[in-house]
This record gives sequence, C-alpha cells and structure tokens, in this order.
Amino acid sequence: MRAAALWLVALVIFGVIASGCIGGEEAKTSQTEVQLTGDLTKDLVEIGKVLEQNGVNEVKFSAWGSGDPNSVMRVYGIVEAARRINKIWADNGINVKIVITETHYVASFQDAYKEYLSKQPLGQAGDFFVNSYAFLPTLADEGYILDITDYAKAYQGVVDDFYPSLIEASKFNGRLYGLPQDTEARPLYIRRDVAQKIGFELNGLDEKVKNGEFTWSDVYYWAKKAKDEGAAEWGLIHRKGSAHPDLIQFIFAFGGRLYDPNTGKLVVDVPAVYKWLYVEWKFARDGLLPEDIMSWDWAKQIHPAIVEGRTLFDIGGTWYWTEWQTKQYYAKDGTPRGLKPEEVKEWFYYTLFPAGEKGDKPVTLSQPFVWMINSKAGQLNPKYDELKDVYHKLAFLMLIKASDPDINAIHSVISAHLPVRKEAAKLIKDEKWLSDLKALNLDLSDDVKNNIRDIVQATVNPINAQFLADVSYMLEYTHLAPAHPKYPALADIFKEAVDKVLRGEMTPEEAVNYIIQKVKADPELAQNVEIQGEIPKDWKFPQG
Amino acid sequence: MARGKLRDLSFFLSPMVLMVFLFYLVPLIMTVYISMTRMRNWNVDRYLTEFVGFYNYERLFYMFQHDPTFKAVILTTLVFVGITLMINVFGGLALALATFFINERPASSYRLLWLLPRMSPIAVYSLVWYYFFHGSEIGTLNSILMSLGAISEPIPWGQVTPWGAWSVIIFVNGLVGVSFGMIVFTSALNQIPRELVIAARVDGASSWQISRRILIPMIKWHLLYVLTWQFLSLLTTYPHLFLLVQWDLVNRDYGTTLALYVFNTAFGRGEQDQGLAAAAAVILSIIGILGGFVTLKVLKFERMMKRPRGDF
Repeated sequence: MRAAALWLVALVIFGVIASGCIGGEEAKTSQTEVQLTGDLTKDLVEIGKVLEQNGVNEVKFSAWGSGDPNSVMRVYGIVEAARRINKIWADNGINVKIVITETHYVASFQDAYKEYLSKQPLGQAGDFFVNSYAFLPTLADEGYILDITDYAKAYQGVVDDFYPSLIEASKFNGRLYGLPQDTEARPLYIRRDVAQKIGFELNGLDEKVKNGEFTWSDVYYWAKKAKDEGAAEWGLIHRKGSAHPDLIQFIFAFGGRLYDPNTGKLVVDVPAVYKWLYVEWKFARDGLLPEDIMSWDWAKQIHPAIVEGRTLFDIGGTWYWTEWQTKQYYAKDGTPRGLKPEEVKEWFYYTLFPAGEKGDKPVTLSQPFVWMINSKAGQLNPKYDELKDVYHKLAFLMLIKASDPDINAIHSVISAHLPVRKEAAKLIKDEKWLSDLKALNLDLSDDVKNNIRDIVQATVNPINAQFLADVSYMLEYTHLAPAHPKYPALADIFKEAVDKVLRGEMTPEEAVNYIIQKVKADPELAQNVEIQGEIPKDWKFPQG
Repeated sequence: MARGKLRDLSFFLSPMVLMVFLFYLVPLIMTVYISMTRMRNWNVDRYLTEFVGFYNYERLFYMFQHDPTFKAVILTTLVFVGITLMINVFGGLALALATFFINERPASSYRLLWLLPRMSPIAVYSLVWYYFFHGSEIGTLNSILMSLGAISEPIPWGQVTPWGAWSVIIFVNGLVGVSFGMIVFTSALNQIPRELVIAARVDGASSWQISRRILIPMIKWHLLYVLTWQFLSLLTTYPHLFLLVQWDLVNRDYGTTLALYVFNTAFGRGEQDQGLAAAAAVILSIIGILGGFVTLKVLKFERMMKRPRGDF
C-alpha cells in the first residue's frame, strides 16, 4: 500500500514536470509590448504584427466629440485616421483592422464632459474624447485620461509642429495628456454698414487696435454715437454664460491675470475685474448693451441682432463666420436664411479685442479643443490586460494620424476654427488644395466624405479661407483661461456678477465685493484663489 | 405571534420590505457614507475610502453662513415648497369638486386637459414655458401684453427677484402637480354614495355647502395623503427647475431649491462634488422625514390606521 502511494506521488510530480516541459513552447508569451521609434509606418507595422501574433485581427475603438454641426471632424478625424492606418497595415500584409464602433457627437461640450465623467469609471466612455482643454486638468487629475508624455517624445517632430501655446494647454503638472485638435480667436466684429452711417473709418483700424491706440473707451464712443444717431439699436452685443470665456478677455485687456504660476492658484485681480464690470455696467446703463443679454436666446435674439445689423460691435468667435452661413439667423427679408459668404465679407470687419485703456495691450482668447485618450482605451478588445500597452500606443498613433495636416486643415476650413499645426496653416492658403476640398477630391473615406459633403458645399470658398488666414495672426495675442480644476466654479461666479451689474442690481464695486464674498464662502475655493489688489480710486470710464 | 401568522405576514410584506430596503435604506446609508468622504467626479476607486468625517457638513454650514446664494436657496426652498404645496392640494381639490358637479363627459375632457402637462415630456413642457415667460419681446406673455397696450416694455418675469422668479417656478410646477391631487380626489369623490348628495340637494343645499359639509369631510384622509405625498415630492423635485435655471429664464439664486442645489453640486458643475452634495442630500432627507412626521402627527394620521370595527 505504501509503495503504491509512493508511486502515485511520483507519478503526479512527473506529470507536473512533464506538462511544464510539453507546454513550454506554448507558454512562451507572445510579445505584448512595443517601443515607439518615431517612424509612424514602422511603429504601426510593429504594433500590427504584435496584435496579429496574439490572435487579434480586429481592434475596436469609439470616438466621442462635441460641438457645432460644422465641427464633426472632431470625431471623423479619428474615423479617417483608422482608415489610413488600416491601409498601412494592408499594404504591409498585416491582417488587422481598426473598427470605429461609435462616433458619439453631441452639441453641448459641457454635457459631453459630464457624460464622460460619469461613464469613464464604469468603463463605458469613448476611447477617444475631444473636448475643451479646460476639462483636461480634472480628467488628468482623476486618472481618467492617458498620460502620453513618453509616447510623444518619440514623435517630437510632430509635436513641434503644433503651436507651442496649444501644446502647453494640453499639459497638466508638466505632463502631456492630449494633442490639440482645434483652436480659435475671439475677434471684435464691427458692422461696416453701421460704421459707415456714423462716419466710423475702419480702414487701418486693426493696426490701431494692435498698437493699443484704439481702446474700450473708443469702443464706447462709437457705440454711443451709433445708438444716438439711430444707426443701430445696440452699440454692443456679446455672448453669455460662464463656460464661454469671451468676457474673461476684459481681465487680460485691462492688464489683469487669472492665474499665478508661482503658487498654482487662481487669481481674482481686483483692479482688472472692477474695470471689466464697470465697462459692462456703463454700456448697459447707457442702453448700448441689453441689460438682460445674459438671458437672451442665442438663435432668436443674439445672432439675429448681429447678422441683421442691429448692433455696431459684437464680441464673438471666429467660428461665427461659417455659423452665420450655415444657420438661418437672418430674417430681415422675411424667410430666415443663412448669410452668403459675400454678405459676411461685405458686412463684417474684424479686429483683435481692444486694449482696456491706453498702455494696455489688445488680446484674444482661445479655448483649444484637445484630443484625449481614455486611460482605459481599448478595454473592450481581446487580451486587454496583456496587450494594454499595445492598445494604448496604437491609440496614441491614431491621434498622430488624426492630426495629419490635411485632416486638421479640413476641419479648420469647414468650421472656421484655427489650425493647430503649422503644416495645416500652410495648406489652408493653397488654392489648389482648397478647390480639391470643394470637389471632395481628397484621400478621404466615403464615410467621412458623405458626412461632411453638405458642410463642405456651404463653407469651402476663398472668402472663408481668406478670413482664416487673416485672423491667424491673432494667435500671437492669445491668452488661455487657466487650466485649473476650480476655474469653472470661479467662472460661474464671474458670470453671476456680470449679470448683476448689467441688470443694475449691483454697482461694479458691489459686484467685486460679491465675487470676493462668494469665493471666501466656499472653503475649498478660497484655498485655491488669491484675491489681489484693490478697487482703483477715481478710475473713470470712458477716458478721453 | 403565531408561527402561521408570522409566515403569512412575511409572505405578504416581504416584497415591500425588500423594496424599502433596496431602494430606500441602502441608498440612504450610502448617501450618509458618501457625505463623509471626499467623493468627487465619480471616482469611486480613489475617494470611497477617503473618510473625512463631518468635513462636508462643516463646509456646508460655513457656506450657509457666508454665501448669499445659499441663503437664497434655503429661502426659495421654503417658499417654493410651501406655496406650490397649497396650489397642488387645494387646486387639485377645487378641480375635483368643480368636475364633480358637472356632467361626466365634459368633466372627463376637462380633467384630461389638466393632465396634459404631466403627460408632456419635461423638456418640451419646460420649453413651452420658457418661450411663454421669456423676458423679451419674443416671450409670448410679453408680446400679448404689449400688443394689448398693457405694457410698453417687456418684463423679465423670471429675473425679477425674488417674487418674479418664484412665481414662474411655482406656476410651472404647480400646473404639473395639481393633476395628481385632482385624480386622487376625483376617485375619492366618486366613492361617496350619490344618495347623500342628492338628499342634500333636495334639502336645498348649495354646491358649496355640499362640498364643505359632506364631500370634504369624507375625503379628509385623501387630503392628508396628497398633502404628505406632495410635500415630500416637492422637497425633492428639480427637473423643471433645472431647465428653467439652465436656460436663464429664471434667476439662478431664486430659482434654485435645495434639491436642485444637490443635483447641480453632484452632477452639474465642472467639478462634480458628490461628497458635498451627499451632505446636502442628507440634510434634505432629514427635513423630509421630519416634515412628513410632523404632517402626519399634526393631522393625526394614526386615526386613519385604527383597526376596523366588527369583524376581528
């Protein structure tokens, strides 16, 4: 009996060892990591081979984006990148294919962010996410998006082609978390027809604005003249809401700041904020700016007032240029319609946001959209745990591909956003390329072509391309709202204060104190915000 | 208690006990727990174990002391719940009584009309009132009043603080809520033997006298039920308010109740602070529990629950 037991034990031990030897070849793990070299084709081929060796022939990704209807390339750029990568693999005999399972595109970028925030922890958010850089700090801080700093080192050549300020906007705590997708400037639009009625000479005005000779006191003067002489119903129309940082430009235009890089805290620059609120208050009190503008309806009030020439000035974004052509805001002749490119060119002059007062500088403000990668990107694919590194690097390479200059340039032209790469900016100036785009005679997938065909027809023309070229210089004057997790809360308070001074519920001084009180009332906000400076005594607006 | 009786009770009560446990007690316990963590941005893995004690309650209390908006929120909650509750209960009662005394066919159509707001999707319904109360000439109400010559300038109804904003949110919510009371009261009134009403009529009683002396006393328990239900419902309702504030129709400070504050803090801002929202939600729950308890005690709810006489 004892001998039998010994035999049994020996047999088991032998079996274990034998199975280890037999399975030795099988157990030898296939390659699950790749090193990026900076040669896109080589890296893609390497990744393709690894996937193939591991039995993966189809990689599924989803792309989430948001914005106006003209900005759909924010998701179709990913679709096109997938097609181009598939072609590279096919050309190199690799039997792997990327399939974009979902192109989730919604109008409100804030709603898209909220959806991503709630679904990412559940593993249900898109693999690619394009949204405002303002949300990047929170997403990065929570670990919801991929740190691509090390991947990007291999592609420094591509990264260097992006405008440096936009790459900075894609960082958090010094680490890179995305690649810029688009950006914009926020010009001051001026109605040429209204200006002509009041003798407001626009030729050379942009130079005066650049030199700081034309300030907000001059804006006030001409706005008042337009109103007093009955040339326009309003002197100025601007946007509303806290998420739209157009009005924040006033802080920079008055030489203020919103962020202290030394302390990493947000700043309430009291003198600049006071001057901003005073300008708003003065314009509204004199009937030059609607006192209830913060509750105006976009489609029925704000845009129609601008396109129908019921205001002299308007603070808007570059994307207004094509939005006015594709949305039916103009109803002066009866049936609402979009403007013709020629009309937009004829009616609107554009310049930088003027300096607050003499001695200050003109500004503009950008809110770049950034392509980010979900930190769980590719999780629904086979062998995710083993091949995580490969899926993440593939996702990064897709972003590199989606940033191809032509994809970026197409997006810029059809949505009137500014290109984020220097190569894309060159393409926009190429007439042949523009005519090819107009005819959709470009290397694009049928899916992408079909989805942008109508937008291309409505927006691709020399006038719009010229506009983009004309406003590109504004990026040299651009400021960015701080990428700080607490900034949205502070921006909300600013919005409330502006609303109160416009309506006359508070004087500018009371509104500044209101902002300070609100900041101090929330201990967490108070810890992250510095109150700097004091309300200037005897400050006058307008100045001579 | 006899074993058989306990078994029967368990059998019949267990679904309800399970429901209460799963959908009330568990969420309540979770909310209390989350209110004591730094939970934010849905990051359960990171924050669920980061216990901060009463930090969120202290923060809330500090904000209550120093933030003018927060005081407006509390005041708005009191006014909104108080007045809308009266409209929902007594408006529902008035509608039920009014339709009680007319022919069934027109009465049904009339009741259906009042049910329309409840049947409409919230976004559509809110959009209707957004354009109706809009503070410019595109607002239906303003354009009507201006064309009648009653006003020369549009009135920003929802931005007149506090009563303009309160009136809009109370009106919009009251119109939805009033149908609930109407249905319950109509059903209750239909259970009253017609002979009583006919006899009173024969004796020369007016509709008002019949309502006051016969109908209302006979449906007092229904009144109590609607009152308590609507109180708890109004305390926690926010979807219509959310849209009206979001669309800038009503003033943000005086259009936000505590329930909407909880929602916005948890889900609505750039930084979503579920810990702070949970603390506010716990306070809201305490107010609800206390309010419900007081309502039931003051109106002697237990008298409705006494054992029926005779067949036990």
